[in-house]
Amino acid sequence: MEWPRRQYRAPHGVTCETRIGGIQMQSMILRSLRRHALAYGLVSLAMALLPQAAQALPTFARQTGQNCVACHTGGQFPELTPYGRMFKMTGYTIGERTMPLSVMGVASYATVANTSKSDTADSGLSTSNSGSDFYKNGEPILATGSLFAAGKITDNIGAFVQITHDRYASANSDGSSSGHTVADNMDIRFADRLIDEKRDLIYGVSLNNHPSMADPWNTAPTWMQYVPVPSPGSNQFVDGYAPYPAYGPSGNVVGLTAYAYLDRSYYGEVGFYGTADGAFRMFREGVDDSQITRLQGYNPYWRFAYTRDWGAHNLMLGTSGMLAKIYDGQAGSDPSDSNAYNQVRNTGLDAQYQYILDPHTFTAQLAYMQQVTNYSANTMAGDPSLQNSSLSPYSASDTVNTTRLKLAYTYLAKYGGSASAFSADGTSNVLNQDPTRVTGNVAGKPGTDGYTLEAFYLPLQNLRLGAQYTAYSKYNGASTNYDGLGRDASDNNTLFLYAWFAF
Amino acid sequence: MHKTMVMLAAAAIAVVSGCSNIERSRNLANPEVSAKTLAAQVCSNCHGLDGNSTSPAFPRLAGQQADYIVSQLNNFRDHQRIDPPGYQYMWGLSRHLSDEQIAGLAGYYSKQTVHRLPVPPEDAKQWAIGKNIFDKGLPDENVIACSACHGPTGQGMAAFPRLANQHADYLLKQLDIFQNTQGRPGTPMETVSHPLTGPDKAAVAAYLQAFPD
Repeated sequence: MEWPRRQYRAPHGVTCETRIGGIQMQSMILRSLRRHALAYGLVSLAMALLPQAAQALPTFARQTGQNCVACHTGGQFPELTPYGRMFKMTGYTIGERTMPLSVMGVASYATVANTSKSDTADSGLSTSNSGSDFYKNGEPILATGSLFAAGKITDNIGAFVQITHDRYASANSDGSSSGHTVADNMDIRFADRLIDEKRDLIYGVSLNNHPSMADPWNTAPTWMQYVPVPSPGSNQFVDGYAPYPAYGPSGNVVGLTAYAYLDRSYYGEVGFYGTADGAFRMFREGVDDSQITRLQGYNPYWRFAYTRDWGAHNLMLGTSGMLAKIYDGQAGSDPSDSNAYNQVRNTGLDAQYQYILDPHTFTAQLAYMQQVTNYSANTMAGDPSLQNSSLSPYSASDTVNTTRLKLAYTYLAKYGGSASAFSADGTSNVLNQDPTRVTGNVAGKPGTDGYTLEAFYLPLQNLRLGAQYTAYSKYNGASTNYDGLGRDASDNNTLFLYAWFAF
Repeated sequence: MHKTMVMLAAAAIAVVSGCSNIERSRNLANPEVSAKTLAAQVCSNCHGLDGNSTSPAFPRLAGQQADYIVSQLNNFRDHQRIDPPGYQYMWGLSRHLSDEQIAGLAGYYSKQTVHRLPVPPEDAKQWAIGKNIFDKGLPDENVIACSACHGPTGQGMAAFPRLANQHADYLLKQLDIFQNTQGRPGTPMETVSHPLTGPDKAAVAAYLQAFPD
């Protein structure tokens, strides 16, 4: 499953007034529902295939014999309850060893408000052509499927290993697309717990492939998300293209981190990340050598948090960061050249509050991250025409600030909804100017603001059906004409319907 | 970089593999793991190390009657309790506990010291009503006094659970289960609780959580 993309694409901003509601929105929903017949059929099929017994659950639930709500707040995976966090921090080792495999899939339907202002619309390409700007727009798809090998290995060692198949991973010359299977989230860890009347210390080490993968809170970049976003082209502006706090090297790298949680109050985690090759190739298996994130040397990562539980409430206040040297991938650059690495510094602050008491759960999450990128010497020397640009200074460094707030509520672990606001802002740079229709950024400036509203229903504990609407007031640096070719931020407003299941 | 990472990872795994210790196991299907270890490594996550749970979603077990804990763990293990929190959380955890582990857990929690819960000020208004039901029942409604079975200080008696200082929200939900469902069969509470109104239940739950001197 491709989780929302976290690569930092220099966000670019423009401001534009968007609104949800009104006739246009209603008719869009009606059209969507009519076209949703196939997805509905897929969901029905999935439901028929799902075993009904409480034990018929993904691997962790089989291991503890518990229901999803024990670990996932109101059943809304992947958000963790306090107990779910303890399960993770103690290395996925609570319970008994069992059949360690699970599968997960997402069927979805996405439609973007306006697809007419695109090159492919101008050239008459339909959305069934993989070369389309809005590939599979308005068509239900069985987007991605994941296989998990996860659970307790010994009393102290456990794993969470996810492999994902994306049916629409790459475009073919005949207009179709090809699927691809890649290493997704991976976390193999050791944990121990020293607990008596005097102190409670959980400590461990994690070998994983995303900075913050080992983090037990859902404001961490790897875990602060909506539904896993399916194939990029199929719904370009759903959530995953809205800014999330993220680390420079987003995934498919390898890291070893050590962590400790003292008296259920103080959490600390430090470690290093590097390129996933050689013995660690499995952490990015399926990703082409030319596409992997290459890091120079050891790249430090840290995370500290204070937590408190009282009554049915719990609170986390945290900070995190990373220093990374990331290969710039410039034409003519060579990974062995030390001038080919951007230096990226991330500094984050986050907070999470949960109230969990049947039949209600309420969660508030706030995450902020600053990313400062100092471009490689090769990047700066790369294009002489940029050096002489008269548009604005060509800067050797950029800063992007990303903030996201999310409020979520569930009732009876069956019905739920959420609202989230996002904002990315930062320095402008000619280096980031990109006059490409739809995805471009003519201002060369981060700036994507908007919100996402979501409603969902869990007819079974391992099946979630949802509708999500994302609206942009600013996209890639401007509200109107952000690509320089007439496209407005609100043209990207997206309705997304999904069925997300695991068993 | 890679050689070092491999060595670090291998060293970490080697070191930690040797640390496996049954005194700190979280294995719920190994009868060799002691009840005290299970209480600390697993049960404490929700019920607290000393059984004084923080969240009202989970009952307080400190000072609970050992016989009652044994009967409930057996009910979970045998799927006799079918109230949602019972099966969602406890069926799985108890499914392979041995009789000895269950007895050990019961003994462990029954010996823990009860800590008083903070009391919401607004609850005080209900105490008199709650105390009256607890001490005297509602004779006109055929509700017998709670204290008749649960003891004059709410401490419980063998299979009758301790109620004093329990989370009010938990008590209220159990009364609802007794009144409205078959989730906890085989208890006299189905009959006893039947006439209680909403305000009665809220008052007695608030009184029991506080259990003022």
